Amino acid sequence: MTAIRLAGAGRTYAIYSHPFDRLLEILTKRPRRREIDALRPTDLEVPKGQVLGLIGSNGAGKSTLLKLIAATLSPSTGEVRVAGSVGALLELGGGFHPDMTGRDNVFLKGAIMGVPREEMRSRYQEITAFAGIGDFMDQPLKTYSSGMFMRLAFAVATCVEPDILLIDEALSVGDGAFARKSFDRIMQFKAAGRTILFCSHSLYQVEAICDRVVWLDRGAVRGDGEPAAVVAAYNDFLDGKSRPQEPVAAVEAVAAPPEPEAGPPPSSGRRPARLHRVKISADGVVGPRLTLRTGESDLEIQCEFVADSSIANPTLAATIARTDGQVVCSAGSRNDGVVLDRGANGRGRVGLCFPRLALLKGTYVVNVYLLCEHAIHCYDKALMVAELQVAQKGLEQGLVSLPRQWQVGPDDG
Amino acid sequence: MRLVTRTGQGLLGPLGVLWRERDLLGVLFRRDMAVRTSGTLFGGLWMFVQPALQVVAFWFLLDFVLRVRFPGAVPFLHYFLAGMIPWQMMADAMNRSVYLMGEFAPLYARAVFPLPLLPLLPPLVAGAIYGVVYTLVMLVLEGPASAAAAPLVIVALMLWLMPVCYLLSLVGVFVRDLAQAVPFLITIVFYLTPILYMPEMLPERAQDWMILNPFADLMASVHGVLQGTEAGLGNVLRPLAVWLVLLGPAWVLFHRATPHIREAL
Repeated sequence: MTAIRLAGAGRTYAIYSHPFDRLLEILTKRPRRREIDALRPTDLEVPKGQVLGLIGSNGAGKSTLLKLIAATLSPSTGEVRVAGSVGALLELGGGFHPDMTGRDNVFLKGAIMGVPREEMRSRYQEITAFAGIGDFMDQPLKTYSSGMFMRLAFAVATCVEPDILLIDEALSVGDGAFARKSFDRIMQFKAAGRTILFCSHSLYQVEAICDRVVWLDRGAVRGDGEPAAVVAAYNDFLDGKSRPQEPVAAVEAVAAPPEPEAGPPPSSGRRPARLHRVKISADGVVGPRLTLRTGESDLEIQCEFVADSSIANPTLAATIARTDGQVVCSAGSRNDGVVLDRGANGRGRVGLCFPRLALLKGTYVVNVYLLCEHAIHCYDKALMVAELQVAQKGLEQGLVSLPRQWQVGPDDG
Repeated sequence: MRLVTRTGQGLLGPLGVLWRERDLLGVLFRRDMAVRTSGTLFGGLWMFVQPALQVVAFWFLLDFVLRVRFPGAVPFLHYFLAGMIPWQMMADAMNRSVYLMGEFAPLYARAVFPLPLLPLLPPLVAGAIYGVVYTLVMLVLEGPASAAAAPLVIVALMLWLMPVCYLLSLVGVFVRDLAQAVPFLITIVFYLTPILYMPEMLPERAQDWMILNPFADLMASVHGVLQGTEAGLGNVLRPLAVWLVLLGPAWVLFHRATPHIREAL
């Protein structure tokens, strides 16, 4: 059964030199606009129960596509058909009135979504409990922080259990604990067989959660299919465009280097799990800048973490990347079937060793991630914890030295 | 034929929205009432006390201080109040319509929202507030029969205002000057309409010009229904014609403008 069908649906944005021109166009039906293509006529069919990821650079048309499905935009050409109720988390604050209280907004949103008042009353408790903003429910929304706002919006959009959930870059919002909670809620939706459309720049999350990925580029579908294949093609495309380094990562590395000594106990932090200490060493030498030799040096990553006893055992992953952000290799405890252990105080340690490092000459960085048990949601990360200067003997070219075997002999025909 | 269909749509369309979105309208209506009186000691009471106090002030000024007496079928104070209260309701609804779409922009700009519901809010809120006061005033001044008719008069005026509010809220989005001009225009119309004076006090030539002012006809009809003053068929037919002419275009234009309204604000 099809949940969403786009038949030649496209959208152009009109630009007017003066608001009055719009009125003249409405009255006379004569166009007085310049048009910009946001989404070219697109055919797309999403079966019920599918989790579809949308990827693409900024301005590719991802948000426009979601808005067409949510019906906050009408298509300029073609048609959009949606079977079932739609819950949308598209833009922060969309559909909420800043002057109204949280409570009023909940009921207003319920009425807009066509949920009867009585039903909304019975769900109100669940919504406030999920959003966790307590006394603020009777304050006007304009007094909320953006995190509180997002929590309320997420709680309302998902508590009414729509058949189709649209999410635009929402997973990263909110503090650590809420991000985890909202992620769990989305996974429940997935398990319940609901249709989810979700757009994100986090390709890892997209690949991990989605059944299918659509890649949009300049308003047109560039790829559609298996998550791994489409994400790989998109990555190639980004590399071709000399993939820009994530500015966020760079800033965080400067602003928040991993704490060398003990941080606050897990209960006082808002993240359910966090990296407590990350130590990188090469041949026993510890430091932020390490010199290694190809095929000889052992690279060791030692991490200490703290995790709330209420959550399942976290997992750890590390990536080694070039300085332009391109990941050369990674290792994850979940992928490798390693279970992290922790004591009664919630603390645990984990070591990861790359013996006789196979990287060839160049400069690399190490990133460490503390993830949920499914290795999808990131609790904490330590980006660019160490810079590796790798030197090599010989003239071997490339990034890594792969183990190999040669076979030689005379060719006697 | 097309005109008849469009006019029919112009009437049934808004009423349909009203019915379908009654839950949402209820939320907006209650919120509107709450906002007007939030933080006050007497709460919702103020909404009705305020117009009532105005009535008392007019009574004090016109009857007690100025002792205004005009020859006519009804005492001047009675005449004045029977016109002034519905006028205030209409002025309230029209003034608000101009700003309306801007006021609710956060609700619909980036979300699903039945836009055609909004222009119905100003006449409904104004009608509810002034309707109560009007009924009480009519009960005191004219007796139970007029008091029973007063809510019907208010409902009729609310219906008449419907296409006007659609057009004002639509144009208000694109022509910002309207927000500056409308309050002034409403004041001008107030003076050009026999509210502060009786129509027969105008020179005869000016009385002839009154057929161009649908509000004058509305007022004559209101006085005729509630106070038994002289009102002709023309006083009813002319505003009815204006209403019928506006119904279709108001609804069609508002629908045509809906995507533009979402983007313009």
